[in-house]
Amino acid sequence: MWVANGLSQDLPAGVVMAGAWQGAELAIWRSAAGRLSAWGDRCPHRGMRLSHGFVRGETLSCIYHGWTYGSDGACRKIPAHPAMAPPAAIKAEVYQCVEADGVIWVAPAGTDAALPDLGGLAAVRSVALQADRAALAAALPGFVAQRDILRGQVAGAAVALALQDRATGLGLHLLGVGDPVALSRWLDGVVRLAEEGALA
Amino acid sequence: MIPDVVLNEWYPVAMAAMVGPWPGRQTMLLGSEINVFLDGDAIVVRGAAGDLAVTLAYGHVWACPGTPAHPLFPIPEAAQPGRRLVDCGVVRVKCSPLRAVENFLDIAHFPFVHTDVLGAEPHTEVGRYDVQIREDSDEVWATKVHFYQPQAAKSAAGGIVTEYMYRVAASTSAVLYKTCPNNPDEWDVIGIFVQPLTEELCEVWPWMALFDDTTPQADLIQFQQMIFLQDRSILENQIPRLLPLDPGKEIPTQADLTSIAYRRWLKRKGLTYGAQMVAA
Repeated sequence: MWVANGLSQDLPAGVVMAGAWQGAELAIWRSAAGRLSAWGDRCPHRGMRLSHGFVRGETLSCIYHGWTYGSDGACRKIPAHPAMAPPAAIKAEVYQCVEADGVIWVAPAGTDAALPDLGGLAAVRSVALQADRAALAAALPGFVAQRDILRGQVAGAAVALALQDRATGLGLHLLGVGDPVALSRWLDGVVRLAEEGALA
Repeated sequence: MIPDVVLNEWYPVAMAAMVGPWPGRQTMLLGSEINVFLDGDAIVVRGAAGDLAVTLAYGHVWACPGTPAHPLFPIPEAAQPGRRLVDCGVVRVKCSPLRAVENFLDIAHFPFVHTDVLGAEPHTEVGRYDVQIREDSDEVWATKVHFYQPQAAKSAAGGIVTEYMYRVAASTSAVLYKTCPNNPDEWDVIGIFVQPLTEELCEVWPWMALFDDTTPQADLIQFQQMIFLQDRSILENQIPRLLPLDPGKEIPTQADLTSIAYRRWLKRKGLTYGAQMVAA
């Protein structure tokens, strides 16, 4: 199953961020050339979160000891032993990661599920909040939930909220057509509902 | 249920100079609440089941929740004339006490975590060094460790190759000996005494015995605090929080020989408080 992990516009080249696929924590990064990768958020060496690491060119390095991984997840360099070729067993846990409709989607390796079809809608903005999925759907009249996507209308135009369970709460990734400022204000209203405890 | 071998060890619970009258320092040891307080001239460590065995050494109060299996480990340099003993305060870290010790034994992270202070790229190579578990003292020792450092100590003016020795003196205490910039015939001595509050929460007490008569105390403490705060950003983001003792979950290399020996020594002795025994 594909889970939205943020918007393409929020992850520039050379940057790594934390993500989540259901219960699994992820490191998602974009290489200098723009290639996107999503891995389990653990360096195989000492368990350090790779989302705290740094991107150089086409590689991601762990911040703890600088172990450096290529976009296939294989370890390319161990700085403590510069002359040694890292054993093939040292590999990050690789997920599938693609972009569609301006959204970054992640699924486990080997998934054959189809991407959610959000054709025609454009990515607007992501927020994270404390909310129960059922309470959220109930608070948005006319919205219909289909797995991780809530579809409905704002000011007469179609929108979709791609939902993402994160360790810290619920991620909401908004897509729509029309004025992005107005859509963003509508999303502020949803955030306010959560802050008032109406979505618990 | 905490094994007796764990209960019968010594653990740091306070800086001796900071202990006041009841209730004194209210803290935890191995998951149980304790008070460390002054009763007249005596320092008492009191838990729910009574008073714990207490030893004062190296500026700190040490307590044993069980029956002490042996005296507290010696640090002969603490009594050496000319050394300055520095208590560096405390850093609370949300990690296993064993992870905090293992990080202290590690040099390969210097260029990445203590960048431009204890290490800097491209000087990342860790050469071969010797590791042994000494049967007489029952301690893990790493010797002949060499590393290039841009500013090895507060008193170091520029980059030098520093030689280190590392010593695991107890399950949650370690001591390092490093090249002394002011005195080539001697070693600077730095300890970390780790108080296990719970299996996933600890307080780290750095302590130093240096040949350095000039650097102000506040600067020495600030230097160590900076180093340990950088380490904390790592320690609170390792998964899992517990230290895995079974091989397979984490992959070491030759640079990790000290850590490998430390894990093996913990496992052999059954000192598994803060350890993960089954690969998850």
